[in-house]
Amino acid sequence: MSTNRRWTSGMLATEDWWSVWIGLALFFAGLLALAGVDLVGWAARPKPWEWTDVTGAFAWSKLFSAAGAGYAGWHPLLSWLVTYAVFTTLFAFGAHHQRLDVKRFAFGFTVLYVVTWLTWIAGNELHLTIVNATVDGRNRYRDAALSWGLQLGEGAPFLLALLAGLALGNLTRRFAARLAEAAKPEWYIKTAIVFLGVNLGAQTIQASGFALDLILAGAAATFVAYLFFWPIVYTAARRLFGFPRDAAAVLASGISVCGVSAAIATAGAIRAKPVIPVTISMVVVIFAMLELIVLPGAYTALFPDQPIVNGAALGMTVKTDGADAAAGALLDELMIARNLQLTGQHWQAGWILSAALLTKIWIDVFIGVWAFLLAIVWIRNVESKSGAVSISPMEIWFRFPKFVLGYFVAWLGYLAIAVAWPALGPKLASGTAVVQGPMRTMLFMLTFVAMGAITDFSKLKGMGKVALLYGLALVVVIAPIAYAVAYLFHRGLMPPLAP
Amino acid sequence: MTAVEVELTYEHGRWRARGAGLDIVHAELRGIESQLEARLATPAGPCEVRLGFDMGALPRWLHQYHGHYCNYTLHVPPRGGGA
Repeated sequence: MSTNRRWTSGMLATEDWWSVWIGLALFFAGLLALAGVDLVGWAARPKPWEWTDVTGAFAWSKLFSAAGAGYAGWHPLLSWLVTYAVFTTLFAFGAHHQRLDVKRFAFGFTVLYVVTWLTWIAGNELHLTIVNATVDGRNRYRDAALSWGLQLGEGAPFLLALLAGLALGNLTRRFAARLAEAAKPEWYIKTAIVFLGVNLGAQTIQASGFALDLILAGAAATFVAYLFFWPIVYTAARRLFGFPRDAAAVLASGISVCGVSAAIATAGAIRAKPVIPVTISMVVVIFAMLELIVLPGAYTALFPDQPIVNGAALGMTVKTDGADAAAGALLDELMIARNLQLTGQHWQAGWILSAALLTKIWIDVFIGVWAFLLAIVWIRNVESKSGAVSISPMEIWFRFPKFVLGYFVAWLGYLAIAVAWPALGPKLASGTAVVQGPMRTMLFMLTFVAMGAITDFSKLKGMGKVALLYGLALVVVIAPIAYAVAYLFHRGLMPPLAP
Repeated sequence: MTAVEVELTYEHGRWRARGAGLDIVHAELRGIESQLEARLATPAGPCEVRLGFDMGALPRWLHQYHGHYCNYTLHVPPRGGGA
């Protein structure tokens, strides 16, 4: 049984809450650097490498090493194994409390971890990443004497992880099914988003006005998008496709608000049969993957001079947190590499991702309020049962995305320490750098692989009208309006240059 | 005023309400509510039925996206009295 009755319900039983616990546990472990204790520096991180150099004289240390200076003496494989052991233990502990099969989870997690690292290391090869541009008088592409290069920047590992995950999910379906217990992209990305709170904290310190602009513009854009998307898609579903009211409402929320979570929240609010959100959610998940594949590259190619607009538009267009954050991370890296090619200027990493994420987080935060209001309207006006049935405001809390709490705690915690004790700034930055650096990136990589592994494009067969409406709404309504709204609120905002 | 708690699930294309000594199945939620009203209404006074949806009845893969479906309260008037 998993029924939400009290405000504490689910605190030890849902992926959402476990992303908060794991994310904050590692954040607080990083904070111990303030007391001179490095509890997170063991985390492995890959290094940029060139294949003739590595094959000529192989050494593990050319591929990856421990991230913390205090662990520089560790053998890279020890660092890699400790990273595996810590993350497997933390997530398996969470899986146990969620009543998942821990053995199956550990097996699946191990496979995903290995695939993640193989693609992460491969994706750091210089022919894939390094950009031919001169920054501050130095051209690393020429320094490396490369004869060719794809110049994808740090987006290369993400693309490889995505391809590997999709290959797992679509070419080895039986094997992918064995990974299902651990293929939880939403859990991994929500944990990574908690880490990103640290990033937002650091960004707020570096450029408080810009960070505030980003937060407020994201909120405003979200409200405008809500007002346009939902009525248009609902009307199209009813009038053009002849969907019944409940299916049209669930579909409109799934397409226009925040994907699967909105579809489930809306279905619950209007007390639709659960089969409706389940069907629609399958379509949402597959389309989110298509958006992740297409949009970062398309925005980079079409609008290379609109980094923050692109990020915010992505946040309003791509449904599911995992796909949005993953697409935001990919867009961030592709845009930085492209701008480097075009202008020789190196934008600071993370701002475009923050734009994508903040817009999405506002959408997520208000889904509970939206569903609560919809429930009241539905019961009073559609079912005409206002006297017999009532909905508690606690429904807003039950539907609140809890990982957002972790994100805010990490953000405000970092900010509070940096503001209250400015002298501790360097220690704070170095202590949390591993958490919001390699640990966060590894969880993003895991998300890409896991998301690919659970995306089976063959499931679109037989979805008929639902898939057609989803595709049409996405191309004709959501993407153009999201871009226009993002442009309206974010135009002129540019990421600071990297120091 | 009495209050009872009932667990709501959706199994094999039908809603099911269990708890407070009841086990009711119906294709429509309205049918469940009508049966609850019929069984729980007493002349003694109104009754409040708190229906909580069991997420365990939804596919496991969906849970990572959203951990809640719906809870609501059905107000059952006293038998022979007004609403």
